[in-house]
Amino acid sequence: MSAPTRAPAHPSEAPTTTDPLARGLVPQEERSALRRSIRLLHIDRRRLLWAVLAGSAGLGSAVALTATAAWMIARASQMPDFGQLAVAAVAVRLFGTSRAVLRYLERLASHQVALEGMAALRESVYTTLASGRTDTVTTLRRGDLLARTGADVDSVGDVVVRALVPAAVAALVGLGSAVLVGWLNVGAGIVLAGCLLVAGVVGPALTIRSVRLSEHAQILARSELSATAMTMVDGAGELTVSGGVHGMLSELRRTEVALARAKDAGARPAALAAGIDTLAMGVAVLGSLLLGVPATIAGAMQPVELAVIVLTPLAAFEGTALLGPAAAQLVRSGGAALRIMRLLDNATSDRTTSGSAADGSAPTAQLSAVGVSVGWPGGPIVAHGIDLDVAPGRAIAVVGASGLGKTTVLLTLAGLLPPVSGQVTVGGRAAWGAPRPWVSRQVVLTAEDAHIFATTVLENLRVARGDVTPEEATDLLGRVELGPWLAALPQGLDTVLGSDATTISGGERRRLLLARALASRAQLLLLDEPGEHLDASTADRLVADLLRTAHESGAGPAGDEPRGLVLVTHRLAALGGADEVIVLGHAAAGGGPAPDQGGLRRPVTVVARGTHAELLASVPEYRWAAEQDSAPDV
Amino acid sequence: MKPLDPRLLRHTRGARRYILITATTGAVTAALVVAQALLIAHAVAPVIDGTAGWAHVATLLPALAAVVALRAGVLVVQESSAHRSATHVIAELREQVLTRTVELGPRWLAAEQGPAVVTLVTRGLDDLEPYFVRYLPQLLLAATVTPATLAVVLGLNLVAALTIAFTLPLIPVFMWLIGVLTQKFAAERLATMQRLGAQLMDLLAGLGTLKALGREQGPGARVGELGRAYTRTTMATLRVAFLSGAVLEFLSSIAVALVAVGIGTGLVYGRIDLVTGLAVLMLAPEVYRPIREVGAQFHASADGIAAAAQSFAVIEHPLPPRGTRPAPDLRQTDIVLDAVSVAAPGRATWAPWQLEARLRPGRVLALVGPSGAGKSTAASVVLGLLTPDDGAVRLVPATPAGDSPASAGVSLSDVDPASWWAQIAWVPQRPVIVPGTVRANVLGDAAAAVDDRARVAAHDTGFDEVLAQLPHGWDSVLGQGGVGLSLGQRQRLALTRALLGTHPLVVLDEPTAHLDARAEEHVLTAVDRLRAQGRTVLVIAHRQALIARADDVVTVRSRATDPADGDRPDAPRTTSTPSPTSASARAEPTP
Repeated sequence: MSAPTRAPAHPSEAPTTTDPLARGLVPQEERSALRRSIRLLHIDRRRLLWAVLAGSAGLGSAVALTATAAWMIARASQMPDFGQLAVAAVAVRLFGTSRAVLRYLERLASHQVALEGMAALRESVYTTLASGRTDTVTTLRRGDLLARTGADVDSVGDVVVRALVPAAVAALVGLGSAVLVGWLNVGAGIVLAGCLLVAGVVGPALTIRSVRLSEHAQILARSELSATAMTMVDGAGELTVSGGVHGMLSELRRTEVALARAKDAGARPAALAAGIDTLAMGVAVLGSLLLGVPATIAGAMQPVELAVIVLTPLAAFEGTALLGPAAAQLVRSGGAALRIMRLLDNATSDRTTSGSAADGSAPTAQLSAVGVSVGWPGGPIVAHGIDLDVAPGRAIAVVGASGLGKTTVLLTLAGLLPPVSGQVTVGGRAAWGAPRPWVSRQVVLTAEDAHIFATTVLENLRVARGDVTPEEATDLLGRVELGPWLAALPQGLDTVLGSDATTISGGERRRLLLARALASRAQLLLLDEPGEHLDASTADRLVADLLRTAHESGAGPAGDEPRGLVLVTHRLAALGGADEVIVLGHAAAGGGPAPDQGGLRRPVTVVARGTHAELLASVPEYRWAAEQDSAPDV
Repeated sequence: MKPLDPRLLRHTRGARRYILITATTGAVTAALVVAQALLIAHAVAPVIDGTAGWAHVATLLPALAAVVALRAGVLVVQESSAHRSATHVIAELREQVLTRTVELGPRWLAAEQGPAVVTLVTRGLDDLEPYFVRYLPQLLLAATVTPATLAVVLGLNLVAALTIAFTLPLIPVFMWLIGVLTQKFAAERLATMQRLGAQLMDLLAGLGTLKALGREQGPGARVGELGRAYTRTTMATLRVAFLSGAVLEFLSSIAVALVAVGIGTGLVYGRIDLVTGLAVLMLAPEVYRPIREVGAQFHASADGIAAAAQSFAVIEHPLPPRGTRPAPDLRQTDIVLDAVSVAAPGRATWAPWQLEARLRPGRVLALVGPSGAGKSTAASVVLGLLTPDDGAVRLVPATPAGDSPASAGVSLSDVDPASWWAQIAWVPQRPVIVPGTVRANVLGDAAAAVDDRARVAAHDTGFDEVLAQLPHGWDSVLGQGGVGLSLGQRQRLALTRALLGTHPLVVLDEPTAHLDARAEEHVLTAVDRLRAQGRTVLVIAHRQALIARADDVVTVRSRATDPADGDRPDAPRTTSTPSPTSASARAEPTP
């Protein structure tokens, strides 16, 4: 099922503008997203203040070390009594020590603030998504979900450590240095302040420009590069035999040239930013000399103080040097904040699906769809004209070639996606819009890519129902033919499965998910390709058994009533037990190509329905496909 | 981990050029740093001493201004060359990795994980940029500015130089000591941290599943709890991890303080003059600055070095030996598979096992067998992409069916692959589209004329229906920036290309997915046409209709390597369907 995952969940995320700087260095929406997400960090203000103070004192120590040492040396050259220098000598050593200690304390404090912020932000993102609009999560690729809650949250937290604290420290220390120099010579102080301001504003602005330009280049080139790389890796054999590898390499070189040109544009401001700090420092030193020397000769300033105002600027620019990386971080965090906030806004728009399941009356579980069209929000309609009815005791199979949108149909039936048009009702209430806890007590969906948690086998079954006993678990696993697998596990039901079940095979994973679905209390089960990754005979046996459960009493969740079933499959051989088979496909329309995955697609609809036997008799295409499936492996 | 991998210089021209430029700018920077310190000292000291006036300072100012401007200029040059070189080196490595990847072929990719290569070339290599822009220049400055300034300090004042020379080696010693002392603690903490992080991500990744089951409300608190535990563990780790950075800063700044106090004492007793004192004071921090920067950028660079190392592992992976003899004309050659066996990677299975087949010119041979038996692998062996682990492929002069072979022929492994591939057209399950026009992809040349032959072939394979939907027919641009073709459409394109080619041997992997009755008909027609053209066809067949068209049918079998070895050998971990054959071999050990 690749079609829906390919559909962009948020089309606005695609790079649309050709000029990455069209909306300014830090666009308004990025700023407001950053502000909002920083608020969600719940920053510990006292600790943040402490981090800024410790950092400023640490960096200030470096400036003070230079200033005091300059004073001490200049004074020493006048050969005073050594006692007069003793205080300065102690101060110099103290500043030499305090710098490292304070910096260490600042790093700890700022990291603590950031980490706590990340934890808080992550929790609010999770709870918002959990109780927000269901389709926000449904349409989000797992990689994107992890990127939003993982790397993006970290990136917003990093703004504390890498942007806010350094910026505050640079401002405080810069101000302090300028005041110190200005106290000795007002003109030199003003020059230093001006140079610090230029280095602290122009440099970071150039850095932001550079980051935006090169990031833009990267986005443009990366999709082409990965397409070329994927083609070369996937088609390595064919390209070798056909000699097509040369064509691919020249394509690669064309992309690289375009990428290099775009990156050079971004490198220019970065190079200028690197030079500006040094230049500003030099100008400040020259300014101190130009203003300080005449003042000293005129007697307006002590000769010793000349050394201080000339040498202090040499150390004062260490703070502004931190601002370039801080600006780059600001851009990265801004992008991350924007993505997180868009997701949260999407999740909380319209309505929330949180609510209580306290609607105590047990309704008749009856799922019906009338004239339903389905599609990914914001995407095209994938399938239309879907009608079906399922209640306990009835089993329906939805079949059709891969990639036609069968999964999208299931998600809509489960109330996880809004229907584009038409009505999906569960127990008489609209599936999309009723409280989630209520809907999921009637209907549960087991998606093809459902998650296996990194916990024990038993706990993975309890995800569906918290009170599954070990005996029940063993029974359930036996029903899906995982008995031998379970017996071979080192700790049986208590065996911990790897993260996302990388240590179990595709077929085992599929059956474990099936057992989990069977463990749930819901009377209606929607199952996506339960036989995938299994060999043909096992898959067919399993599907046939599932279809039987719909009709046998004693197979239901409470052990006394039958269940309703909608299962999506592309194998037809075992569908004899289904009450109805619904065939999705393209309605015959003059001369178009046979349905294909991707490429040029139009929505599918129900092209045939009936029992397996009826379809075999009346639909030649169905018979052909069923014959392929039931033919013994040759 | 080496800070500068010599292989980087060996494999990429961009890196060699960059090192030369950066070494030069480093040397110039060293000279400018020294000049700046001396100029300032010479300008300020006489004024403080009261021995010179404005006229003296005025003569030095232009030189100082020039030094400042030059330093900024050198930085700009250095930085832009850093960016440019990073771009070039990344491009060079990317091309080399991809080229070698293709040469190593599909079997190596299956064993070494193709996705890892894609991630490496699209994302991993980008980590080289911070390495080139931030780390390498500082490394070279540490090799130029540090010794140069230290030498100047030595020339100015022995005591200050000795102070620096004693503290400088303490930096690596202390960092090493701290590393050793905290290693065990840090490793434990790091493991806890990673475990907590993994648990958190696992919970987040399962959100969609929990929603589908209506169980999404519970874990919110758990996410917060895990987050706080993660913070605690991480802070404990950081308290230790930041120590080495603190020691580095402490040693460099206390050394400068000690130098300053030493100079002050020297001045009081008249042992040195003020010019020297000020110059040493300004130069002392410059000795340490590159080393501090190298330490600060170390972690940023580690990823880049790792990515480069991964690239070299691919680039330097030896190619299997290749033959040199020109391939015989396939129109008059039988291809004989002699007990060919291949060990399946990651499975304790031979697939195929002891395959015997004889592919005669002008005939259609079908390979059949359950999935996982090694049909595609057998085709790869014939294609020369894979060397059998046992048995051999021999090329012998064609004999009429039934006659005993006249000679043993040559082994395929002795044949020059290029001359072999020039005679073969291959239609795989997932054909590749080279970016370009349909015309270039099908006819092999962007300027080739579409004649009746091409039109008939396109009709036979159903590709004409695809063409009718494309915006510019034969001249539609495919691939990046152009139209995307679905898998079924690509299969039709590849079939058409094979029909129009003149390669004596066509290897055809019958599509298993997305095949309906019409698509099957197209494949059958294509095989008939190829036979009519007198071409040899090796087809991996899945369906009865195609098997019935073949002149010869060969069944491919797999076999567990050690059937007596327990009842649960390593099952295939991939998503491929386990083959019933290997399953039964497991269940019933053969004596």
